Amino acid sequence: MWILLIGLYLFSVYFLSVLERRMVYKKWNFAAPFSTLAFLLVQEDVKPHQRDRIFYETAPVLFIAAALMAVGVLPFAKGFIITGLSTGALFINAAFAYIMVAIVMAGWAPNGVYSMIGGWRFLAQLIAYSMPIVMAITATVMRAESMSLVNIVASQTHLWNIIYQPVGFVLFYVAAMALAFLPPFDLPLAPGELAEGVWAEFTGVKLLLFRLGRLMLILSLSLAVTVLFLGGWEGPLLPGFAWTFIKTILVAASFFLCGQYVPRVQHDDLLEWSWKLLTPLALFNILWVGILLLL
Amino acid sequence: MNMERIIFLLLFGSTAIWFAWRVFMTKSMIRSALSLLASMVAIGILFLVMQAEFLGVLHIMMMATEMTIMAIFMMMFMMDPGGMGDMDMSHQKKYSSVFAFLSGASYAAAILFTQWPITADAVPAPAQQNHDLGIELMQRSMMIFETAGVSILVAMIAATATALSFNSVNK
Amino acid sequence: MMTELIIVLVIAAVLFGIGVYGALSQTNLVMIMMGIELMLGAAMLNLVAFWFYLHPKTFSLQMFVLVVMTVMALEAVVGFGVATQRFRSKGSVEVEEAADLKE
Repeated sequence: MWILLIGLYLFSVYFLSVLERRMVYKKWNFAAPFSTLAFLLVQEDVKPHQRDRIFYETAPVLFIAAALMAVGVLPFAKGFIITGLSTGALFINAAFAYIMVAIVMAGWAPNGVYSMIGGWRFLAQLIAYSMPIVMAITATVMRAESMSLVNIVASQTHLWNIIYQPVGFVLFYVAAMALAFLPPFDLPLAPGELAEGVWAEFTGVKLLLFRLGRLMLILSLSLAVTVLFLGGWEGPLLPGFAWTFIKTILVAASFFLCGQYVPRVQHDDLLEWSWKLLTPLALFNILWVGILLLL
Repeated sequence: MNMERIIFLLLFGSTAIWFAWRVFMTKSMIRSALSLLASMVAIGILFLVMQAEFLGVLHIMMMATEMTIMAIFMMMFMMDPGGMGDMDMSHQKKYSSVFAFLSGASYAAAILFTQWPITADAVPAPAQQNHDLGIELMQRSMMIFETAGVSILVAMIAATATALSFNSVNK
Repeated sequence: MMTELIIVLVIAAVLFGIGVYGALSQTNLVMIMMGIELMLGAAMLNLVAFWFYLHPKTFSLQMFVLVVMTVMALEAVVGFGVATQRFRSKGSVEVEEAADLKE
């Protein structure tokens, strides 16, 4: 069963990379991930002059580790969870906070202008958007009366959180896109403006780790949306893990689809909306759930 | 006596001490801020080793943001954030190292010469701990908790008011 | 159990010593704040150790750790506010150049 789950996970990563490519080039290309993988594995490792050696080596590893750490506490199916922490809902926040640390390190390390701007931009973006994420998760925790993610899924047996607290879902969805720097919020990379920003100075295996880590991050976030708001493994007919993966892939596809039709958000607008609109809305959401719970 | 726990405590304790030492020994300011982050994460893992799950995860989460913010302020305010100019950013070294050694040594002595009343009580399970901490927050210590919240609000307002530039106020 | 408690407390004492050294020896305001954070971290380590080895049923200790975390955040907020204003008006946050504060 675990082997099946790992296989499904790897397949999802592959499928997401195909899907991401489809959104950019408007063409299905099922071999592209493999050729990119082979290309990045053999590419020459070009190192910038006067880089910060330690950060340059550790940033990609920290990035992919943080993306994978969140998967460790998210349940795939009933009884299939790697570590059933009783503070799981807090732990995924902690794991996602280290995405920011990794990107700031990666922006600082190569001693390049574009990457540094990208790194500090992402710092501001993520601090602004971690507020809605934390508060949306808090509201789901309030409903389940437990920080364990298994209990959060169990609390949604009768009514999914997306209907119970739609505001929280929208907040988490938008903030998740900002966290994974997907197209409308891709300010740290900003192709066409910053020329791949943070990743500009990374080549070969390090770039591979970043790209793979980003796909895994998107997958972790979609899984988090599924578990927190879409009822996790609940669903008729099919077995639990199948529902989890179907929902996860659909959420990830909707991330890509949303990004395709929205222009890139300006940096000042991004911060203003987050602090002045999303954070008060998140507080309102907590109030809303509290009132519903007391009724 | 739990051998496993002693090994973990020593391992992460020495990690915390090593990175804490690196904070003041490196020239690059971003490195120093992120060393502090690594030291704090090691402290958080020590909390986890001591089965304070909520506090450990909370500490690890909070420090990521706090230390990265520290890093950007270092970069903004320092003359030589990259450490390439090889500037010396310290003063009164001898005096402070003597004082630091004295304070650390006196605490260590106090620790070693105290008879600690170790209890045999078992620690509650993590879920029970979360519940009990919540009850504590909302019943006995509610006043303290609220005070902490209000002081955060006051500090936010005060810091923003302090940091505004004179020109923008005069406008 | 006693040995474990002493190990943790000695680790915290060493961290506190390093924090004192940093707070006294650095000339930059932000670096001094880092020393203070380190001292507060050592205090939190002590509190958690006391909770775990001495009073596992008393949750006021965990509550106290939360208060220390709040203090850490407050210290950072106020320190950065002051540093920003200082940098705006004087162009430097070095404490050796802060003698004009007494005027």
